[in-house]
Amino acid sequence: MEKIETNISKVGGYTGRRMAKDKLFKHVMTFGGLSVIIAISAIFFYLASVVLPIFMPASMDEFKRLPLPAAQSGVVHYAAEELAEVGMRFQADGKVDFFDLRNGKALGGDRITPPAGVKITTFAAGDPSQKVVAYGMDNGHMLLARQAYQVSFHPNPKDPTKDIRSIKPSIDHPLGEAPIAVDPQGRALRLLTVQSSDEGTTAIALTEDGRLVMTAITSRTNLITGEVSTESESVELPLPQNGEIRQLLLEVKQRDLYVLHGDRQVSHYDVMNKSSPRLVQTVEVAPAGERVTAATLLSGGYSLILGTDKGNLTQWFQVRDKDNNNHLTRIRDFKPMRHAVTVIAPEHFRKGFIVGDAKGDVGLYYATSRRHLLTRSSGSEPVQVLALAPRANAALVQNTDGALQTASIKNDYPEVSFYATWQKVWYESYQEPEYVWQSSAATSDFEPKFSVAPLTFGTLKAAFYAMLVAIPLAVMGAIFAAYFMSPRMRSVVKPSIEIMEALPTVILGFLAGLWLAPFVDNNLAGTLLAIFLLPFSFLLSAYIWHRLPVSFTQRVGPGWEAALLILPIILTIWLAIELGHTIEAAFFGGNMPHWVTNELGWTYEQRNSLVVGIAMGFAVIPNIFSIAEDAVFSVPKHLTSGSLALGATPWQTLWNVVLPTASPGIFSAIMVGLGRAVGETMIVLMATGNTAVMDLSIFTGFRTLSANIGVEMPEAAVGTTHYRLLFFSALVLFAFTFLVNTAAELVRQRLREKYSTL
Amino acid sequence: MSDAPKSHAINLGDITRTPMAHTSEVAIEVQNLDLYYGNAQALKGINMKIPKKRVTAFIGPSGCGKSTLLRCFNRMNDLVDNCRVEGKILMDGKNIYDRDVNVALLRRRVGMVFQKPNPFPKSIYENVAYGLRIMGINDKKTLDTTVEKALRGAALWDEVKDRLQDSGMSLSGGQQQRLVIARAVALEPDVLLLDEPASALDPISTAKLEELIDELKANYTIVIVTHNMQQAARVSDYTAFMYLGELIEFGPTDELFVKPKNKQTEDYITGRFG
Repeated sequence: MEKIETNISKVGGYTGRRMAKDKLFKHVMTFGGLSVIIAISAIFFYLASVVLPIFMPASMDEFKRLPLPAAQSGVVHYAAEELAEVGMRFQADGKVDFFDLRNGKALGGDRITPPAGVKITTFAAGDPSQKVVAYGMDNGHMLLARQAYQVSFHPNPKDPTKDIRSIKPSIDHPLGEAPIAVDPQGRALRLLTVQSSDEGTTAIALTEDGRLVMTAITSRTNLITGEVSTESESVELPLPQNGEIRQLLLEVKQRDLYVLHGDRQVSHYDVMNKSSPRLVQTVEVAPAGERVTAATLLSGGYSLILGTDKGNLTQWFQVRDKDNNNHLTRIRDFKPMRHAVTVIAPEHFRKGFIVGDAKGDVGLYYATSRRHLLTRSSGSEPVQVLALAPRANAALVQNTDGALQTASIKNDYPEVSFYATWQKVWYESYQEPEYVWQSSAATSDFEPKFSVAPLTFGTLKAAFYAMLVAIPLAVMGAIFAAYFMSPRMRSVVKPSIEIMEALPTVILGFLAGLWLAPFVDNNLAGTLLAIFLLPFSFLLSAYIWHRLPVSFTQRVGPGWEAALLILPIILTIWLAIELGHTIEAAFFGGNMPHWVTNELGWTYEQRNSLVVGIAMGFAVIPNIFSIAEDAVFSVPKHLTSGSLALGATPWQTLWNVVLPTASPGIFSAIMVGLGRAVGETMIVLMATGNTAVMDLSIFTGFRTLSANIGVEMPEAAVGTTHYRLLFFSALVLFAFTFLVNTAAELVRQRLREKYSTL
Repeated sequence: MSDAPKSHAINLGDITRTPMAHTSEVAIEVQNLDLYYGNAQALKGINMKIPKKRVTAFIGPSGCGKSTLLRCFNRMNDLVDNCRVEGKILMDGKNIYDRDVNVALLRRRVGMVFQKPNPFPKSIYENVAYGLRIMGINDKKTLDTTVEKALRGAALWDEVKDRLQDSGMSLSGGQQQRLVIARAVALEPDVLLLDEPASALDPISTAKLEELIDELKANYTIVIVTHNMQQAARVSDYTAFMYLGELIEFGPTDELFVKPKNKQTEDYITGRFG
């Protein structure tokens, strides 16, 4: 007994060292495994954290009353400078007050003074981005003024590293201080609309005797004296059919005028030609019994936002029909305000707007994404004057009680909504709603279009065509290699195909884009013919093989037939390409791409889905082949022997025993291939035109989520909607490949379980 | 093994031919059969006549070629790469290695049961019906009667009749092996080859299997390869002893076990080597 115990303890000592090693490696491996999981989770959470802000709702602080001295006459307009630190208040009598927007401290003021004996009758504010305002007077003239904010920095006595910024508000006069004649007849101006930019100034006014007068002013600055000389041209506009004219809206490019008249009518004038304006059409913009109570033009001047006494809000813009005629069209409706709309103010640079109603509620909207962002109460009095700061980060509201209230707004990603990213959106100056991804353009007044749909579609299209090429080749190849091929040939073929996987995809993409695409372009008929003929050539070869004398076929040996097939494949492709030219000459006018474009009317691109299908199919084949081959090969030999011993032919055994048993593995292989095809970037980036179009045609390209990230990430400004949407597409891709691979892995594990009992 | 006697001098032809011809009809006749795996010869000049509707056992130490010989009878060796067969195996006077022989039809006539039970991952019913289905028989009635008959023939019917749709994998090892026999029997073959059918089974299952073999020999010619000499003695009518690819002795089981003519046979059955 004693002896045995010492023996055990000896063994124990020895085991102790082994156990320690065992434990060490167990911990190392656990650490490795956990690190992988942590790394993947970290990627996921990082992506999610970048994406999250675009899904955060907009927020707005409570309204805060600013202790401004009361206005002597009514307030007609508020404005704020870029940093939302300094504001301006325009009074009906021409007095302008400057104040600190943060605390209401008065910063002085200015006065736009009419000549002696002349009275101000009306006020007009130009597009907020131009900062121009105008006062119309009873002598048919107007006074044009512009807000100016001079930013300067002073040394800080307390901290020399940080200068003090000071903003000095002022009023200047772009066309000189002298009144400008709008009505040549000199009648009082009742309503006025003005736009003034570097290209020129246009003022349109309704006079007290009911005429609609347009005056276009071109100014020229003398380079030597700095003196401004102006030339003006006035013309009378035809009056709209009926109803009292209530509001004039000239858009910022001074091409279109919208006149609101009657209860619910808008007339559109084309005023591009300043000497012969014309009335294009009159549209009823609200149902009978509803009265339009507020109207504004969105930034860019294309869209008209109308609010009614029932609180309804609609967006309108011109849509060009087939005959090139423009029609003012109702584009979309927004969530109504609860009370009559009293005033609408646009954002300065985006397509957002802010709405005030008769019970003091203020609503924030975004047009393109059709979003109602939030509603805040500013009291119970009707909202009278409303403005947004240039960066849309503060709202200035004055109710009928006369006090100014401000609130800061956090609203960085209003463009994003489910509707804007996944559904057809009717963008300004488009003929119909469309899926568009267009994140940047050459012009600055461009609105980014963020439809993820064409990118997702492109991704799936790429994967579809790639799988169309890869699945038949890889799966059938795998079955042949695992089940029929002679072991010696298999030992060459399998590693070779697996090595294909290591081929950098940038090389494949490069070859596809620079060699394959032009080749297919030059031999389109031949390429299509080759794809069509190859299966038949296989069948023909098999038939000929069976007709060959046995003495010859036996010399090749079982499982080597496939090697001989290379010859018919090369022959068929060569033949198809040669025939292709003849066919193109005979049936397609010598050039099939032209024929596709002109006769079929299909879009044809050189770098198209066919090229990507072949190139990416080639890239995906090793993934599918390798796993599927393993699945077929690992079907236990005793099962196939059992079937063969019952008199089944090899083909019956394959179909009835091998494939059913291997099917989960083959499925898993296809899933892995799909995951690869969806995430693949370089090939689709280089072998397609990367145009975000949505059609299934094999002759057009596409833009995939992954390629889009590759192309646009370097140019996306950090923190913008664009940037975050790119991260969002990365997250979508990540989730997709994660799900597909997980599904593949689960199926594979089930398969392993099943095999373990065989 | 190292001290095993080497002997190539014995004339096997004489021993094998004599006892069979007049005792019963011949099911399989092997003539000068040589088999090579690449350059290695696995069977050397085998000559034997396997009697009809009897149980013939192949015994011998591991690697002696008894399984290889068995697999020649349904040409399963064709599946082995680099395997080459010379000589003849006659069934009904036809050499099964002739070029015009349809291997699938041959295997339909010569059923085989493997060492490890290998039911397909299908239901019990489909396992038994498999052989018929691949022959294109899909008539429900025919299948039902054949499946029942085969399962009864394999003494499995009472155990599985209520769970025919369960997976064949859900049965115990002994039941699986009888299922595989039923699968073979369903095709009503002429010959049934059993390759160490009891080696993966427990004693009780083995006993049942041996009982079954005894019943089956009324209708089938059975060739069984076994490691277990008691089993050979119990179930077989004739026994062949093989050693190093050669057929050393072949005769009625009683004679071979009681009074072996060859020294090597005696050494092996008395347990002196093997």
